Amino acid sequence: MQASEEQLRAWMTGGLDGDAAAHIALLRALTPMLRGFYRRRLRGAEDDIEDLVQETLIAVHTRRASYDRDRPFVAWLYAIARYRMIDHLRRRRVTVPVEALDEILVSEGFEDAASARVDIARLLAGLSPKQARAIQDTHIEGLSIAEAAAAARIGESDVKVSVHRGMKALAARIRGVRP
Amino acid sequence: MNTDDLIRALARDVPAVRRGALRRRILAGVGAGGLVSLLLIALGLGFRPDLWIAMHGFAFWMKWAYTASLGLVAIAATIRLARPDPAPLGLLWLLAIPVLLLAGLGIGEMAQKPAREWLAMWLGGSWQICPWLVLTLSVPIFAGLLWSFRRLAPTRLRATGAAAGLAAGACAATLYCFHCGEASALFVLTWYSLGIVLAAGLGALAGPRLLRW
Repeated sequence: MQASEEQLRAWMTGGLDGDAAAHIALLRALTPMLRGFYRRRLRGAEDDIEDLVQETLIAVHTRRASYDRDRPFVAWLYAIARYRMIDHLRRRRVTVPVEALDEILVSEGFEDAASARVDIARLLAGLSPKQARAIQDTHIEGLSIAEAAAAARIGESDVKVSVHRGMKALAARIRGVRP
Repeated sequence: MNTDDLIRALARDVPAVRRGALRRRILAGVGAGGLVSLLLIALGLGFRPDLWIAMHGFAFWMKWAYTASLGLVAIAATIRLARPDPAPLGLLWLLAIPVLLLAGLGIGEMAQKPAREWLAMWLGGSWQICPWLVLTLSVPIFAGLLWSFRRLAPTRLRATGAAAGLAAGACAATLYCFHCGEASALFVLTWYSLGIVLAAGLGALAGPRLLRW
């Protein structure tokens, strides 16, 4: 059972206030999270993964002044874990693509902490009904262009244009929401 | 070492970290380095003999406001970059304000003086050494920031190095005002800024190596 953002944050804040018991609880809860994080991304020896977990725990401990109590804890944690992983790969002279922090938060099950979470229904509501339906059918329901066109009783090229324009409008809106 | 033993060893020493500890640590690094730079000016270069009189004039405060405002913005950016998940750095656009204001003053100066005096005004008496002195004086401040970062977690090392270099350069230039007697906006805009930019560039070069953790 993974600890929640609220629980981790409470332990972290406790540790920052000098509570050693909260600090131990935090580091113990982080250990399986970090093991999972590195195992999913590095198909390396178990020793390597344990080394990385320990290095990350040490960084969490010695660099805890870099945590801002007003910001999400897991975003801070995974930013450190990501940095340690990149440093590890660099030492090995390996190049592999590493996901951005937003994607990591989603894949590790902390969507709320990722400011990237987008309320699809709310966004689609801002488009014209035709565009919204075309995107809904093709990108979310997974219909083909032909199926979507038949369902909406419009031409296939009309569906394609609606999807294209709708996506462009959405992209512009998301950039505006999160500059 | 077993991970559980490591956790127990780490938890033996859990000092309290107050709110704003990061900001204080960065400022402490800048302050300690700045004291060394000030000492270097006092012992090596000497304060300008007319410092007291100059402090009642416009030119001194113009220079000071320019370099100090650059320094404040750069320190704010450095503080952001000291976190592993830095907040957006849009505040760096604020750097344009002092630069544009000083450029405006420079144009005003040129309008007031005949064209044949422009070159002398631009080069002053110390253009050859000014940027290098600013760069040299920035080294202790940069070193102070390196100390600050030992407990912080920058992940964009090149950007952090550049921001730290910019902060160190601008603070060094602010202190250099106590020595330098140049009074022209054009001079400051060119040669002070050159020293500051050199410091930022060296910071960007050295960042990935020196800030790694």
